[in-house]
Amino acid sequence: MSIALLLTVGGLTSVGLYLITSRSLSRIILGFALLGHASVLALLMSGGPAGRAPIADGSGSDGFANPLPQALALTAIVISFGLTLFLLALASRQKDHTGDDLVEDDIEDSRIAEVKQ
Amino acid sequence: MQQVIWTLLGAHVAGVVLAAIAGFRSIRAGLAVAAFAPTITAIWAIWLFVSQDGLAGADGPPTSELVWVEGLDLAFRMQVDSLALLMTLLVSGIGALVFIYAIGYFAPDAAGGATFPPTLLAFSASMLGLVWSDSIWTLFIFWEATSITSFLLVGHKNSDANVQTAARRALMITGVGGLVLLAGLIILAQDVGSSTLTNLAAAEGSRATLAAILVMIGAATKSAQVPFHVWLPGAMAAPTPVSAYLHSATMVKAGVLLVAVMGTTFADVQAWKVLGLAFGIASMIWGGVGALRHVDAKLILAWGTISQLGLLITLLALGTGKAVFAATSILFAHAIFKAGLFLIVGEVDIRTGTRDIRKLGGLAKSMPITFAVALLSGLSMAGAPPLLGFPAKEAAIEAVLGLSGWEQIIGVVSVVGGAVLTVAYTTRFLIGVFGAGPDTIVKPRRLAMTIPAVVLGFLSVAGFAALGLVNDIVRPAAIELNAKSEVYGLVRWPGIKTAFVVSMAVLIVGFALGVGAAARKVASAPNATGADAADGLIDGILSNTPRFIAVVQHGSLPVYLATMTAAVAVAGIAFTDQVSLSHLQLWDTPLQGVLAAGIVAAAAAGAAVRSRLGATLTLGATGIGMSGIFIIHGAPDLALTQLLVEIIVVVGFVLGLGQLANQFPTVDNAWRATRLAVATLGGLAVMAGLAASSANPSGVAPIEDLTAGAVNDGGGNNVVNVILTDVRALDTLGEVVVLATVAIGILALANTRRAEA
Repeated sequence: MSIALLLTVGGLTSVGLYLITSRSLSRIILGFALLGHASVLALLMSGGPAGRAPIADGSGSDGFANPLPQALALTAIVISFGLTLFLLALASRQKDHTGDDLVEDDIEDSRIAEVKQ
Repeated sequence: MQQVIWTLLGAHVAGVVLAAIAGFRSIRAGLAVAAFAPTITAIWAIWLFVSQDGLAGADGPPTSELVWVEGLDLAFRMQVDSLALLMTLLVSGIGALVFIYAIGYFAPDAAGGATFPPTLLAFSASMLGLVWSDSIWTLFIFWEATSITSFLLVGHKNSDANVQTAARRALMITGVGGLVLLAGLIILAQDVGSSTLTNLAAAEGSRATLAAILVMIGAATKSAQVPFHVWLPGAMAAPTPVSAYLHSATMVKAGVLLVAVMGTTFADVQAWKVLGLAFGIASMIWGGVGALRHVDAKLILAWGTISQLGLLITLLALGTGKAVFAATSILFAHAIFKAGLFLIVGEVDIRTGTRDIRKLGGLAKSMPITFAVALLSGLSMAGAPPLLGFPAKEAAIEAVLGLSGWEQIIGVVSVVGGAVLTVAYTTRFLIGVFGAGPDTIVKPRRLAMTIPAVVLGFLSVAGFAALGLVNDIVRPAAIELNAKSEVYGLVRWPGIKTAFVVSMAVLIVGFALGVGAAARKVASAPNATGADAADGLIDGILSNTPRFIAVVQHGSLPVYLATMTAAVAVAGIAFTDQVSLSHLQLWDTPLQGVLAAGIVAAAAAGAAVRSRLGATLTLGATGIGMSGIFIIHGAPDLALTQLLVEIIVVVGFVLGLGQLANQFPTVDNAWRATRLAVATLGGLAVMAGLAASSANPSGVAPIEDLTAGAVNDGGGNNVVNVILTDVRALDTLGEVVVLATVAIGILALANTRRAEA
């Protein structure tokens, strides 16, 4: 397994986690996109090392990269793409209402905390 | 015979539903309806005993199994073996009598007609389920169900604060005990690799010790063993039919039953025996002392129950064939005489208006039938011939005499001591309730109350007379628990042997002690320190819980996320020893290393930069870097897709966030250091997990098969595409649906904006 890729996954995850714990919805969306990259890469790495593109050309399958995680990763890319766009639309709507894209505290939870303290 | 189990359980459930939805105004009508299921179950059990084949018939014991998750060994599994059948006889037989009794106990206009009968029947069903369970998970579910129904029944009189406190105490102690039990059962099932109770393998080692301790504590809470006994006297606030049924004959026996069933599994675990003896002996003695100090006849019996349960736990913890046989016999005898005595106390209570032995007097003359029945049941409890309790207690004394070493000393001293106390409090009970005193005014008899008590009193005599039949009931159950029980039997006349002499001495000493205690009619009841301490603890937990919730459930979503990330990362530490670095190489190609560095740098820049546009551009850079990685990895389809996606996302960011301020708000700076730390921890955890998982590959990737399949069956050369369109066609369809949904969602959001504008 490639250390370079391992560090990439770790780095993307860290930055992604840092961003999604932010208060700004646009930063959270960035974080989600990065976490999506990290998971796609992790999926790809779990299939084995880099290799030739798995396209049969009559010369046999020696040296092919594992096609299975690629097929799964393709779906993952598309789904995280959809999620990112939808979150963007939500952020844009939030801006219309509050003038900003800040994520506020859960109102119900805050109320509970206030009552009980 | 599989249908039998479902039919009988179904009859109970149907009864519960019927009694609940019918909503009888009269509690008596509800009880009459509810009595049906226990009655047919009892008849079935009796029929099995008297019929020649019994359980050993052609089909073997009735079993039933509903598998839920095969791989996880999760199944609803039941088996009516000899021990279960013995318990069925008690649960349903005494149950049916208690239902009839309750019809007399409650006034015709008593409240609770819609709730009490179905709850009592629900308890019956739970208890049956518990004794029939053959899987420790099934057993646990019914175990908890009995705790809950017991809580509801104790708290039947819901207008009285003291009753509610007592019910809550019972629920909390048995409930927490149930959780301790669950922990023990999980450890045990992991250790022996099975959850089927029949033939559960023997466990040993440190994990087995831990499991044994937890299971024993769980059993002790249910069977009201010192120091968890404090809930049982409080539970006497329940209507007397409930006390007779749940808190003497059946539910409190659940712990005993569990200790019995687990006996062979934990036979080699020293802690099991030591803890069991400690609980058992302490309860036997302290319960007996408590019974001598109370003036409420019902409390005398409750403390006596604690003592008797202690005797059972002690014998089962000793675990020899004879001890197990004695325990099984006493279990049977105790349920009959103790339930009978409770029914009598209830009758005395209803007909005289008091249970205080200082106020009762002359009942031997004014309630002769009740007195006769009390005498029979009481003498059986004391272990006097010619009643069922005598041979059972005789077996117990023989069992401890037959031990050796320190076990013999401890066993004999405690069992004889407990027996003396039992005779003493029985004597005091009989003299106190029925002996001389102020003449109590007695109301007329209610037949429905008298008959069940008479039946139970008669059974104590009949059991002694037909000792062979009792042996046939008890012995197979004891053999199931310990094969060495086979050679033992209950005997009517043991002959002049040590055990008999001891037992006669016990009767004489205990009687003298009891007469002395009865003469002192002062209330020297132990103050309720234990119960108060338990209530104080519960109150403390309840009042501090809101404060805890306020801290944990504060409402900040980012903090929730950070907490979860940190928790998962920390939990991963346990698996770090599986991480191996030997299979790692620096990179697949040097270019990969360059791209990797670029991606991480772009991502980090995106987090650091203050400008929204800048962040968006770094995201684009990251995505393009990812495409490069994909090309190197041999995944051109991914690279192409990523590139297209990235372009659209960047455009989307510019469009969607265009109207927002150019700079990110500064609210995030408050706890940046913590966020950084948690994020780093999370990244490390993912890396460790990935390194660990790739170090343990299972098998070789079937690349050749996939390629051949794609070409020959899929008719395509691009293997990835064939997998997507052929193998994962439905998934791909789902993906399309997701995208369509997103598109519709975005459109709807955009339209509302237009409408508002």
